[in-house]
Amino acid sequence: MCSAELFLNATCVASSEELKIYKKRSFEAQRQSTQHAAMASAESSGEQASSGPTGTYEVVYIKDNVSVHPSPLANERISGRLKLIKQGQSVFLTWIPYNQSGIADDSGLILSPSEGAPVTPPQAPGRKDKDRNLYTIRAVSLSEIRSIRRHTPTLGWNYIIVVLTTGLAFPPLYFHNGGVKEFLGVLKEHALLVRSAEDANVYLVNDIQDPLQRSLTSLDLPEAVTPVRELEPLEEERVSAQEGPDEGGSALQPLVVSRRGPEGGVLDRLPQKHVDPLRDASIHILTQFSKVTRFVRDATTQLSGQNDRPLARSGMLGLPERAPVPPPVAPAVQRQPSAGLGEALPGRGAGDAGAGSRMEEDKDEPELSSLGAFELVDGLEEESPALVWGRPRPPPLGAEEWATFLDSEGRVSDPAGLRKRVFHGGVEPDMRREVWKFLLGYFPYESTRAERKALQANKAKEYEVLKGQWQSVSEDQAKKFAKFRERKSRVDKDVVRTDRTLPFYAGDDNPNVEALRSILITYSFYNFDLGYCQGMSDLLSPILYVMDDEVDAFWCFAALMERMASNFHRDQNGMHSQLLSLRKLVKLLDPPLDDYFRQVDCLNYFFCFRWILIHFKREFEYDNVLRLWEVLWSRYLSDHFHLYVCVAVLKRHRRKIMDEQMEFDTLLKFINDLSGRIELEGTLRDAEALCRYAGDAGVACMPPAPPPTDETQIEGPEG
Amino acid sequence: MATPGAGGNLQAKLVLLGDMGAGKSSLVLRFVKGQFFDYQESTIGAAFLTQTVAVNDVTVKFEIWDTAGQERYHSLAPMYYRGAAAAIVVYDITNTESFTRAKNWVRELQRQGNPNLVIALAGNKADLASKRKVETEEGQSYADENGLFFIETSAKSAQNVNEVFYEIARKLPKAAPAPQPQGLNLNAQGRTQPKRSCCSTS
Repeated sequence: MCSAELFLNATCVASSEELKIYKKRSFEAQRQSTQHAAMASAESSGEQASSGPTGTYEVVYIKDNVSVHPSPLANERISGRLKLIKQGQSVFLTWIPYNQSGIADDSGLILSPSEGAPVTPPQAPGRKDKDRNLYTIRAVSLSEIRSIRRHTPTLGWNYIIVVLTTGLAFPPLYFHNGGVKEFLGVLKEHALLVRSAEDANVYLVNDIQDPLQRSLTSLDLPEAVTPVRELEPLEEERVSAQEGPDEGGSALQPLVVSRRGPEGGVLDRLPQKHVDPLRDASIHILTQFSKVTRFVRDATTQLSGQNDRPLARSGMLGLPERAPVPPPVAPAVQRQPSAGLGEALPGRGAGDAGAGSRMEEDKDEPELSSLGAFELVDGLEEESPALVWGRPRPPPLGAEEWATFLDSEGRVSDPAGLRKRVFHGGVEPDMRREVWKFLLGYFPYESTRAERKALQANKAKEYEVLKGQWQSVSEDQAKKFAKFRERKSRVDKDVVRTDRTLPFYAGDDNPNVEALRSILITYSFYNFDLGYCQGMSDLLSPILYVMDDEVDAFWCFAALMERMASNFHRDQNGMHSQLLSLRKLVKLLDPPLDDYFRQVDCLNYFFCFRWILIHFKREFEYDNVLRLWEVLWSRYLSDHFHLYVCVAVLKRHRRKIMDEQMEFDTLLKFINDLSGRIELEGTLRDAEALCRYAGDAGVACMPPAPPPTDETQIEGPEG
Repeated sequence: MATPGAGGNLQAKLVLLGDMGAGKSSLVLRFVKGQFFDYQESTIGAAFLTQTVAVNDVTVKFEIWDTAGQERYHSLAPMYYRGAAAAIVVYDITNTESFTRAKNWVRELQRQGNPNLVIALAGNKADLASKRKVETEEGQSYADENGLFFIETSAKSAQNVNEVFYEIARKLPKAAPAPQPQGLNLNAQGRTQPKRSCCSTS
């Protein structure tokens, strides 16, 4: 194996057959096309990339026999050439598959989209070439790469997964002759490469957080990654794919590939088992790997056909980055089969979730359910921000955009649109005071500005009356009013220990602590049956902080409690039904984890009690609690989105939980200790993916509407 | 109950019960981490911590369950005290209500029928003597009547905090079932008995 410096020397001719060092040469190139501006902008498509600045480039790394495994057959691989090319200050990564005759058909190809695929009709037209085109990585600037994950299983081939800043990932690139380390070595010469603190196998590329750039990128990316649930192809796409045998033959539409081609479909393989020398245990594993890969490919095919023409044009393969992460290579270890996102919904072929209905047509395919032993999203349990589903979330809703949601009289003209917007991006801190009132239901969406002003005035009066009820209790009266005394004392005990480290609530005689107290006591009179319950101060604190107004905070809190009162019912019915729902969801979305919890007698999910009771208030930094809550309150995907958040967090730690054989005590400690260590944005994206994936099956898990608070739920002996 | 380990080591599940704001979490935090916070946040659900103490030739690893205090969450308590070897029932000496609640907890624990359960009654916030509402004698006599170990503590000043746990540790081996015969130790540090699940009823 050549050492790293060979890769770097443009004049060195490598001795290894895998290595060829190309001399510098000049060429005419389109910067747009190479930089994938096309990906971010629908306007700069590949076709337009025909003229541009002239530059020279230098191949700084080249590696042959780097392959993609598109199918379940271990020997069926698309081999190609991986290169790093330097042009000016930019370095690009390309992977070009060989053509039918085994020639790396890549001379000058990378920088001209029209040459992106072999133009000569190949011997066996159809899937092969479609696949080749599908997987081609034409030219990705290193600035677009967020991370590279290295996988070096003890059995099977080493491979890497390239994850883009957009959150997309390429399918695994297998280094059949080794060399991952060398590749990373070369990369290090041209980019800032830092190992992720969370996962030593993840190398963050140029991890110079540029929020503006990132958010811009994400804005331009229309639903680039859709969770598998949404990957069912549109009807017309199925039809068109069936009609046109040459679909996908063009480099311009490389992704429009149907699994059903005209002659029984693209799944018709030409097995070449005799060719492949590998006949060891790793074959089986790789077979499983490539099933995953194929699933991803299929999903992507449909995805791109459905959503994202610019992606297709640029030849970019957009994949849910979680998806290609292959299973653990430890078949001998007695391990519970682990589940990921793509894994079986009941009655559904694992790994084929996006194309479940077409399963029966894959007669030549082995039972995909065998994939049940593996997970598509092995990385979910890791706290790596680079390894989450979906695209980066857009920036929060700001004042200008908020104005566009209001009509001339101040009505929210498109509540659903607003809720969707908040769900995806949250709200800017300055705007929360206003937007939260709608989200919580204090302000009706259909109200005009004038109506809201009147409403607030009325509510202010009403609050004063309610507050007066307990404030007017005299000392003498209080002596004969045990329930009042107890209630007040409970509130007193909790408000002085609620978020006191926060400047807003810090210090002696803080008026905000007093406001917290007043609101809670008033609420316990307003909703006398429910009273005050521990956890309420946690729910009120952020609301008061945002509203910075006692009256508004009270009514927002009261509105929130309309939704959450059952959490505080004496018989815990609200909590029990949510914990039960969580259990069902985990069973749906991660059967092995459910199985594990069953084994250790933890199916009551009480270790998640705090998460659910106060909606993760204790689990995140304060600012992130605000963000999480507005997302939950948007009730866009689900009224019970917090349960999907629970699953997302559990999934991120599933491996640790099972590997360390946590039981109820250690599990509870582990869960409690996650406080302050959960990455929010990635968790939200995971939760969204899970929610979309679960679909109706998830809805069926949800708790019934909570019963109203009645006298059976009042405080009982305590007051 | 306490689970004998090898080499004279014990594991003991211990649960803290008591009214909200009595200082359960503060006692545990003082004992386990030596910390104290004036504004220790309320416990939602439950917390689990461990701490090991050595008494004579025996080490006792406490598996401590710290529970939410409010009566509203009472229905969850059995899950945490079931199978416990010891309980510390905590009240706040400046709050008579909390003493009443403590007595209720003691009754409930006695009813649930583990005769070997070691119960300590801790009158916490002893540093607030000027605000005292429950006299030491009250606590002591109630404890005597009910066969409890009584002590007044202050998580804030650390007064008697370790003592509660050490005294429980001293009482535990007697309460434990058949002591582990010497000479059968398979593993000096490890557990020789399978770990019980949280919900075992032994």
